[in-house]
Amino acid sequence: MSTREAILDAVRGALGHKTVDGAALRREADALLADLPAIRPDLLADGLVEAFIARLVTPKVAATAERIADARELPAAVARYVEARGLPAAIALQPAAVLQALDWSGFDVHDRVAPDETLAVGFARWGIAETGSLVFHSDAETPILANFLPLHHLVMVRASTVLAYLDDYAAATAGQRPPRNVNIITGASGTTDIEGSLVLGAHGPRYLHVVIVGEATDQSAR
Amino acid sequence: MEEATLSFKARAERALADPTLKIAIDRTTGTAERKRAVAMSQFPQFDAARERGKRIKDHVIANLDHYLLEFERNAIASGAKVYWAATAGEASQIVVRLCKEAGAKRVTRVKSMLGEEIGLPHALDEAGIERVETDLAEHIVQLGGDRPSHIVWPSMHRTREQVSEMFKRLHRAPHQEETIEAMVDSARRELRDKFLSADVAISGANFLIADTGATCTVTNEGNAELTTTPPRVHIVTAGIEKLVPSMGHAIAMLRLLVRSATGADVTQYTTFHCGPKQPGDRDGPEEFHIVLVDNGRTRMLREGLKEMLRCIRCGACMNHCVVFRQLGGHVYGGTYPGPMGAVLTPVLDGLEKSRDLPHACTMNGKCQEVCPVAIPLPTLLRGWRDRSWREGLEPASVRFGLGMHAFFALRPGLYRMATAIAIRVMRLFSRGGVVRGMPGLGAWTAYREFPAPAKRSFMEMYKEQENQR
Amino acid sequence: MTQPQDTPRLSSSPRVALFVTCLVDAMRPSVGFAALKLLRDAGCQVEVPQAQTCCGQPAFNSGDTAHAAALARHFIETFEGYDYVVAPSGSCVGMTRAHYAEALADDPAWAARAHRLGERTFELMSFLVDVMRFAPADVKLDTSFTYHDSCSGLRELGVHDQPRALLGKVTGLTLKPLEGNDVCCGFGGTFCVKYPSISNAVVGEKAEAIERSGAKLLLGGDLGCLMNMAGKLKRKGSGVRAFHAAEVLAGMGNAPAIGEES
Repeated sequence: MSTREAILDAVRGALGHKTVDGAALRREADALLADLPAIRPDLLADGLVEAFIARLVTPKVAATAERIADARELPAAVARYVEARGLPAAIALQPAAVLQALDWSGFDVHDRVAPDETLAVGFARWGIAETGSLVFHSDAETPILANFLPLHHLVMVRASTVLAYLDDYAAATAGQRPPRNVNIITGASGTTDIEGSLVLGAHGPRYLHVVIVGEATDQSAR
Repeated sequence: MEEATLSFKARAERALADPTLKIAIDRTTGTAERKRAVAMSQFPQFDAARERGKRIKDHVIANLDHYLLEFERNAIASGAKVYWAATAGEASQIVVRLCKEAGAKRVTRVKSMLGEEIGLPHALDEAGIERVETDLAEHIVQLGGDRPSHIVWPSMHRTREQVSEMFKRLHRAPHQEETIEAMVDSARRELRDKFLSADVAISGANFLIADTGATCTVTNEGNAELTTTPPRVHIVTAGIEKLVPSMGHAIAMLRLLVRSATGADVTQYTTFHCGPKQPGDRDGPEEFHIVLVDNGRTRMLREGLKEMLRCIRCGACMNHCVVFRQLGGHVYGGTYPGPMGAVLTPVLDGLEKSRDLPHACTMNGKCQEVCPVAIPLPTLLRGWRDRSWREGLEPASVRFGLGMHAFFALRPGLYRMATAIAIRVMRLFSRGGVVRGMPGLGAWTAYREFPAPAKRSFMEMYKEQENQR
Repeated sequence: MTQPQDTPRLSSSPRVALFVTCLVDAMRPSVGFAALKLLRDAGCQVEVPQAQTCCGQPAFNSGDTAHAAALARHFIETFEGYDYVVAPSGSCVGMTRAHYAEALADDPAWAARAHRLGERTFELMSFLVDVMRFAPADVKLDTSFTYHDSCSGLRELGVHDQPRALLGKVTGLTLKPLEGNDVCCGFGGTFCVKYPSISNAVVGEKAEAIERSGAKLLLGGDLGCLMNMAGKLKRKGSGVRAFHAAEVLAGMGNAPAIGEES
């Protein structure tokens, strides 16, 4: 008997199992996610984007955030960020069409992220108001390392794609073929491994700046 | 290691005599306890969430065969290769073989308690494969050549001063300034190129998602993604109890896990890994292997420890344990310390070797109170004591003492007489309200006074009063 | 939480069996007499069954389930003929309420009897407040106290507010909060003699917290924990005096404290 069969037999022996009805089990599992408001936290504000930003800037998440009306204003926002922090105007730009289409004149732009990259500009598919998280899917436009190598990570997300809860992200993608990686990123990299005290910039970015573009399609959190 | 040959009590004495260790433990567990308390005060839904989390895990465990097969099917469909290991040895052999097949000279590892449990660091070292621990705490453990002492903060036994000294000695470009920030920077510099030059990445999984075949890691440093993305091969080792039906269930568990562990609402990086690199992907491994590990879990299912399979490895039980907070994790002698470790180590290492662990607990119930999946840890620990008693592992002196106690306590007349005699003997040794120098009381009086009894027992005096009424 | 003083008592005065506990019986009978007085003041007809000995907790916690079951049966036979069973200890009551059924799991008939008795078995303070709606009258003690919540009472029985409500009625007595009031004192029954040095480290921290509270008295509801803490305080040369809360409530707060010459 293979190890696989031996383990499965041991499990079945311990559980005293007959055959299981997969559909019934799925219903039972789904029922465990009923009434989600009872088991998840309240949002920090009524509006989704407001709640998202409020969470992003809490000390726990320790990101910074700003809003712009249109994606075309992103290069100017990046320029302000660079200037305020005295950074060189060189950026690793995530190879996402929406970013590549913008006018980056005045910047030294490259699309490969160096191991010691200072600033990378990226695009997140979703924002999550509950946790202040950004969601990325690995694909042709999204190298995963670009989210982890730079010291400063500046991320654009559309207000219309800010979801209330992590569960809403799961629901929005249920049934689709998952990407190799889903990155749910919440604030900058941190560690509490030395005496429990939080230090940012452990291996990933030390600074996360989120630029929210446009208005939410639905302003209510519910 | 010398430590391993000592008895639990000897290891405990050594830990209690180490003031630096106590400082280190207090700094980390104290911070963890405070942050968890704040997180709980901001999450009034915790009790309901915890009940739900418990039910989710119970549901999975009650249908574990089904979910294992569903996970396997979906993982294979995503392009992953799935392996099954019955024991720790089998699991680490599979990993070492995969590393060798990949021609690996250097592997990077993401902290995983299961990896520790199956002895993976040792197996890789034995196989002559360079192992780079990328979690900061595991990096500190590796530099120090010792073992993790906590499941969330493996290097909790090191003070910042000790870490600073090690980094200065062993890093290529160590920090100049004596701050934790500067030390973290030093590790960042030290590990950077190693992330990018490894041949194989090895991680654990916080959750296995049955309906997609994805594995989920949670980290705060970002080391999991930096580790698992560049190499050509990514190997995941995971216990079979890590399953959840779907991502939605993982999210419900995540809310409990992170608040209980660090007091954050969610980890900085929560990543789902599904199969190898897909067509068009800019980066990612070409091979994705998942090793499903039993190593005692089906035995736990069979032998009355199935509630323990709910454990999501948050560490709250140890952060709140009065015994752990005096001793730290190494004293427990196994992979897992604290209350959850005292339940698991007898499964993994055998009760005979670890019978002290279930006893070294005051049964105060705090661990159960803070457990995010409501594991009745004291009950499970008492279960081990019961088993140890039945298997004859308890010392003869204890068996005799409790036998005598029961003999008298079942015979009230004799019991009164014995009590009266005991009181009179104790009073012979009493000075100024306390008992001094009485044989048999040394374990107590070595450290604290033993308050002397009153002249007569309650029952004696009560009977006399009643007779006079 | 406070209880109104004029809450009506149960219409008939219940027959209450007092389980003094083996530790109170042998070491500090004044706690038993205090409990007796409080229960009588609360309007109970109190009896002290003469066959009572030990609840079986030491055997149970040591893994000696067979002896624990024998002692549980003895306890049930001794006490099941009363309206209520009350003990000045959260730990012993926790044993009967939460663990007898487990000790007797192999014997469903006895487990059922254990369950029925458990429902009528109460820790003293919670019985006085929750069942009898009692509050002590005319008790004075001009001093300050801090309160340690013993673990079994707190976590198995929910005893927390009741002793504070009762002690709040003592004229002149003020509470100074104890940092880590719900953290174990390191007693743990046989734990304190099986692992004395670990127990000592735990109670050492507890004694420091008690001293930091600035209170003159340490009160609690379990004699085992109190002896452990009082013994450590005394060894440290601390002036904090320890009593069972029942003693103070029964007006015995000026008697010798735990570990003082009597």
